[in-house]
Amino acid sequence: MKVDFWGQEFEANMFVGCIGGFLIAIMSSMFGFGGGPFMVPLMTLGLRLPMYIVVGSSLLAIFFNTAMGTMRHYQFGNFDLILFLVMFPAAILGGYIGPIIAKKLSPVVVKRVACAGLIILGAKLLDLY
Amino acid sequence: MNIKFRVLPIIALAMALLFAPQARAEQRAATAGVDTSAPTINLDKTSLDNGGDFVISGKAPAGSQVYIELWSAEKTVKSNRFDGKKDEKTGKIPYKFYITKDMPAFYKIVAPVEMAGALDKAKAAGKKWKYSEVLKEIGADAAYTVPAKIQIDNYQATVMASILGSRGTLLPPMDEKASKRESMKLVKARFVSVGNLLSAKVETTADGSYSAKVSIRSGLAPGKYSARVTAVTERIKEGDKETVQKITSEVASFENKIAFPTVYLSTAGTSINIIWPFLLASAVTIFGVLMGAGGGFILNPLLLMFFPLPHTVVAGTVMPTVLFAQGTGIVNYSKIKFINWKLGCGIGCAMLVGGFIGPKLTEMITLDQFKFLFGWVLLILAALMFWQTTPGYLANNKKEQAILKEFKKRAAEAVKAKG
Repeated sequence: MKVDFWGQEFEANMFVGCIGGFLIAIMSSMFGFGGGPFMVPLMTLGLRLPMYIVVGSSLLAIFFNTAMGTMRHYQFGNFDLILFLVMFPAAILGGYIGPIIAKKLSPVVVKRVACAGLIILGAKLLDLY
Repeated sequence: MNIKFRVLPIIALAMALLFAPQARAEQRAATAGVDTSAPTINLDKTSLDNGGDFVISGKAPAGSQVYIELWSAEKTVKSNRFDGKKDEKTGKIPYKFYITKDMPAFYKIVAPVEMAGALDKAKAAGKKWKYSEVLKEIGADAAYTVPAKIQIDNYQATVMASILGSRGTLLPPMDEKASKRESMKLVKARFVSVGNLLSAKVETTADGSYSAKVSIRSGLAPGKYSARVTAVTERIKEGDKETVQKITSEVASFENKIAFPTVYLSTAGTSINIIWPFLLASAVTIFGVLMGAGGGFILNPLLLMFFPLPHTVVAGTVMPTVLFAQGTGIVNYSKIKFINWKLGCGIGCAMLVGGFIGPKLTEMITLDQFKFLFGWVLLILAALMFWQTTPGYLANNKKEQAILKEFKKRAAEAVKAKG
């Protein structure tokens, strides 16, 4: 499929994109997170698209997944209103404070910390220690 | 005639000797009859403040085993289980899905102190312990009554139906025995650990008075709780079959009170102090912004670790919270024409299908499977994060970021020019 962006044209393999998106959507809706950190590598590495197209468009793609996943979770009775009302303001608050701190920190350092944190968390879930 | 009269006392004596054991047996039955009066039950507290300790005492027939069944009388929760394990006898996979909405939000059986050893053994067995077997071993199946009566829906699922996101076809209700057996599995699916479901605390004296110090942990459902004593007077074993003589007491009740900021989450079936999840969610989203990603993948495992929430509720509640942030993101990007709608909607359609299937899978797996799979997802994610800090990626990223900035500037100018 040809993708047109600000006068530039790119060729994207939609077959890879759809299969990958489908699998990422199953996984992320199953575990209840967005899926952004998986979608961005899929579209940059898998579809060989430049970052500036991926940023906005991946968000749009993920939105479909989140909306559907939310509806289905609600249908299965997995949605707890009070817990949601606690988390939701927290998420908005985080969204305001985050960018302020982000300016003062190097993204590489943040990512390295996240990497270490994820390994610890993953190992804990796998009962490795 | 004389002889006859002389024989009479002897016959009488013989008769007396013959009937004496029977008479003694009758006497024993009579005393047992006194003992079959129902056990009494007294609670030293009728109101708890978000859990606490209290003593249940009373008098049961002398020499009986005393079990106390405790349950939340007002609040019920959902429990479900997917049976995808191969049946060893028939070699077939049942693909059955069981679900109930009537599971008490709290359920526990307190057994005699002597059973502590058996419970420790069950705890040592780890995650693979079987509730029904342990109940039988400590004799507590005699006191297992409340969950046995809950209504359980069973569905015949198929692989195809699961892929399409359906629970399958609803089967006719199970008979009493099958329903009781399944209820035990659902109880375990819901309450998970030995310690949550059983304890060995009842001390009895020779005359049958008993007492048990029961602790109700904090973070449970509020409202009315009930307690009932079952005294097992006799167990008769015939081969594999065991007949149990038991008498139950009246139902005593107590109340568990919670106060703000501790709030009861009705879907999750637990009360939590809402300040902690709020702080946790704020911290994680801030970190998520710094990372340039949501943060749900960090928030979910942490919520599971720190709070006794079911994984289905965690997944189902965190997901909608990001919906709003994503929506505003899309609006902002579309204002500066930074979204390729064809690309986003194309992949979005595939993701729509995936999002339809995923939540069904959450329901089908157990908490342990959820943790195991999530563990691997996080490790893969860690690898991706690491790759994003390698020099090659950074150099490339720097170039792209510069272009991104340039594009954003141009886009902003274009919007301004129009306006």
